[in-house]
Order: sequence, then structure tokens, then C-alpha cells
Amino acid sequence: MKAILRTESLGKYFGHMAAVHEVNLTLQEGLFTSVIGPNGAGKTTLINLLSGYMLPDRGKIYFREKEITRLGPDKRVKMGISRSFQVMNIFPRMTVFQNILLPVLSRLNKTSSAFSSQQSQKEAVGEAEKILGEVWLQEEKDSPGGELSHGDQRLLELGIAVATNPQLCFLDEPSSGMNPIERIKVLELVKKLASERKTTFIIVEHDMDIVFSLSDWIVVMNRGEVLAEGKPGDIRENQVVRDIYLGEEI
Amino acid sequence: MKTRLAILILVVLLALLPAYAGKYALYVAIHILLLSIFSLGFNLLFGYTGLLSFGQAGFYAVGAYGCAKILLTYPSLLVGIVGGVVIAGAVSLLLGFLCIRHTRIYFSMLTLSFGMMIFSLAWKWRDMTGGDDGLVGIPRAPLEIPGLFKINMAPMENYYYVVLAFAILAIYLFHRIVHSPMGLAMQGIRDSETRTACIGISVRKYRLLSFTIAGVYAGLAGALLPPLESTVTPPLAHWSHSAEPVLATLLGGVYSFSGPIVGSVLFYLLKDIIVRFTEYWQMCLGIIVVVLVIGFRGGVVSIFSRKGGRR
Repeated sequence: MKAILRTESLGKYFGHMAAVHEVNLTLQEGLFTSVIGPNGAGKTTLINLLSGYMLPDRGKIYFREKEITRLGPDKRVKMGISRSFQVMNIFPRMTVFQNILLPVLSRLNKTSSAFSSQQSQKEAVGEAEKILGEVWLQEEKDSPGGELSHGDQRLLELGIAVATNPQLCFLDEPSSGMNPIERIKVLELVKKLASERKTTFIIVEHDMDIVFSLSDWIVVMNRGEVLAEGKPGDIRENQVVRDIYLGEEI
Repeated sequence: MKTRLAILILVVLLALLPAYAGKYALYVAIHILLLSIFSLGFNLLFGYTGLLSFGQAGFYAVGAYGCAKILLTYPSLLVGIVGGVVIAGAVSLLLGFLCIRHTRIYFSMLTLSFGMMIFSLAWKWRDMTGGDDGLVGIPRAPLEIPGLFKINMAPMENYYYVVLAFAILAIYLFHRIVHSPMGLAMQGIRDSETRTACIGISVRKYRLLSFTIAGVYAGLAGALLPPLESTVTPPLAHWSHSAEPVLATLLGGVYSFSGPIVGSVLFYLLKDIIVRFTEYWQMCLGIIVVVLVIGFRGGVVSIFSRKGGRR
């Protein structure tokens, strides 16, 4: 197993508040990893730092042992890092198909083309169609993204995240706002995409049943720091984690 | 197919306009075409990239003054127009570097400020711009390519065809751009900057491209003006002139390709009609725009589109 991403003493501070503090983390390639913790633990800030959406105040980030600490999100995507957002972030006025086509065009470096039509980009169009099928949105392809149901918008965002063909993909609460059945379906889809696309997924999720059933590795955060990490069984048995976050019933 | 036929009929009618319309109608038609080019460029920024600029008149004026200066020293229509466009494009590229680092109200205020700086330059730099008198006596030079052809532009009809040709070319290129992968990237930025950055697209690069293309369109509209009017004056760069493509686009429809063109026709005709009856034409036009914006947020075009206006 190889390390795909590593951090050294990573920190992000808002005034006197440490949103992320002294995080030394190594994420292994191919492991389905979940980041859990109470509200305000720093999970989303950590993902923002790792995806380049925010720059850290201290520490370093390495992707495949290449330092990426100061790189912006667009450059990190080109290296193979992708993400979804906690608050829905799609292209609401564009059609579902265009929502997927744009990241595919970006990956193929075709977005600079000013005079060819979108439909003439055969390779990108074919790939976008395939991804639409993978996230079960083929029938909605001509609808504006903003007019989809909440659950379908979540699927669309997942489709956008994988359309750049990432090696590492962060999903920030990919099933939030869904009912329990939809949640299981979406997270099983993520697991399926992980194995089919050889993508390493790191998810932030609040549903502990799902986390413990799907994850290979769990990182527990509290007050901006990594409280514990390990296999689901080890985390379940960790007394500190139980005291602070999980309680006795897990 | 129906759309293509409608466009063909429209182009034929416009081409035949000099045969059945008088000089004033041609003059109005030229102004509508200029406003259409101006508004299309503005809408690439606003409707397609999500950036509201209040300084486009600055680039319009740069194109107009650039063309006028060239025509006054080297009377060739093509050189004047192309020169004006190139200068406007260069200025918009330069100012774009500074403006596109900001969004929303900060971007709008920056563009307004730079537009008014250009206005001040036009007003104060007397040696170059003629100050408040402007530049006068600009010739409507012949359209020529030495050794190939030379067409006299003195008759209004001939100049109308030149403007029509540039307008058709500008509209065609605009259609290609907004339906291209680059156009899709710009629409992505409009819908969500963060999402666009997080799929590997440099938001600043495409904002700058959009800004520069919009500046080129404004410059083209401006460069086509001096041969028509024989004069250019500082109010061309004033912020109130920047409001014209904003209003025309809101009237026609922000999120449709044809909105700015339809809006330009309506804006100019409404202005032309209302001004005959009252000196308070701006107030009347304002009321009409308010009603349309509140009642039909998609603009006039949306009334005729399948999905209706209340979206």
C-alpha cells in the first residue's frame, strides 16, 4: 500500500480558533477512508486545505510525495485531486449533461477551444455520456441541473467530482439531506466507483452505521486535531473516541 | 431548421433595407446594429460569465477615438476600424488584469472607475482627444485593399453594408464562442466559481478572456461610429453610456443568445419614439425597463420562448 497524500503539522487558524491544528496524516492509496467527528471538529476545513480550496497557515501537504501546499484547486485537479462540497455546488443553469461535459473537457484540456462546438468534442461527449450512466442520470441529461431533486443533485455532484478522473477524491457529506435508503445507495455507488475507477475516496460522513460498514480506514477529528485513526474495529473499541464522539452504543 | 430560415429571411430583409428605407431609417438601423454588437459583448461578461461591468463605454470610446485618430491621419476605413478594435482590445486586456481579480460589486465598481478614468482622459487630454470639443471632421474613408478594390463610402447605403457585414460577422463569432467549450467554461464560472476551479479550470484566465472579448466587441461598436457621425466626443465614455447595453440586455433577456440583439432593437426604437413626445424619455424608458424586469425576468425573448418569462 502506497501513501497517496501526506500532511506535516498542517494548521489553519481563524483568529484564536484553531480550525485545524498540527495534523499529521497519511492517506493510503486504495483505502476507502472516512473522516468523522462532531460538528466543528475541523473535517470540512481539513478537506478545504487538502483540495486547495483554502491555503494553510502552517504545515505542508504532499501528493504522491510532491509538495502541493500552495497550489490552487485548479492545479490540484490537474494532478488528480477532486472533491465535492458539503453545501450543494453544481452548475444550476447548465443542463445535467453539460455539468458532466465541462469537467471532462477540462481534463482533456479542451476548454480553450473557442470556435468548435461542444458536441463536436466526440471523446468528451462519449465520456460524459458514460459517466451520466454511472451516476444514474441518463434520463435527466437535458434538464437544468438546478431543477433536479435534492438526491439527484447529490448524484450529479458526485458525477462532476469523478468526471475529472481523479486519483484521489474528497466527498464532503455526499449523502446529506437524503433519506436512509438513498444514503446507502449513494455510498454503495461511491464504493463501486472506487473499485471500478481505481479512485481513492476520502469521505466526511455523519451516519456511523454507513461509515463503519463501508470504510477501510477511519480518521476521527476533534477540535481541529486528529484524535485517532485506524480500522473500523479499532476505532469502535477506542475508549477516547467513544467518550468524546461515539458514545457507548456503536 | 425554422430558426435558420428565420435568420436567413432576416438577413435578406436587412440586406434589402436600403432599397425600401430612407436615409434616416438606415441611420437608425446602423445605430441598432452598433448597440447590438456592444450589448452582445457586454452579455458575454454578464449573462455568460456572471460579471456586471459598468465600464464598457470606456472601451467603446477607445475604439471610437482610436479609429478616429487613424482615419484623420490615414484615411482607410478598414485600417481605421481594425486599428480601433485592436487598441480597444489591448486596453481591455490591460485593465482586465486588474479587474478580474475581483467579483460582484467590487468588480462592478472597478470597471465603473476605469471607465470614468477613460472619460476623464477623453475630456482632459486635449492634444490627443480634442478635449470637450472631441475630434471632428473624421472622413468616411473608402473601403479599400490596395490593388484589389476600392469602394466609395460617401453614400450612407454603402457604409450601412459595411456595418451590417461586421455585425453579422460579430454575431456569428459570438454564437461560435458561446456554444464552444470555452463558452461552457465561462458559463461554469457564472454558475459557480468554486465548482469551476475545483474541476481544474483557471477561473481568472477565462474571466480575462471574457473581459477582453467584451472589450473587443465594445471597441468594434465604437470604431464603427466615427465614420458615421464624423465626430467623437467624451460622453461616449461616460458611465451613462455604459448603461445602454445593460438596459438593452435586460430588456431582451440576459440568459438568451438573441436577448441583447432583441433588446437593442427595442431600446433604440423605444428611445427614438418616446423622445419625440417628451423630454422625460429616460423616465419613461426606466418605467418600461422596471416593468419588464419585474414581470419578465428572462426579458422579452423569454415571453416567446417555450418556458415563459417568470423564471
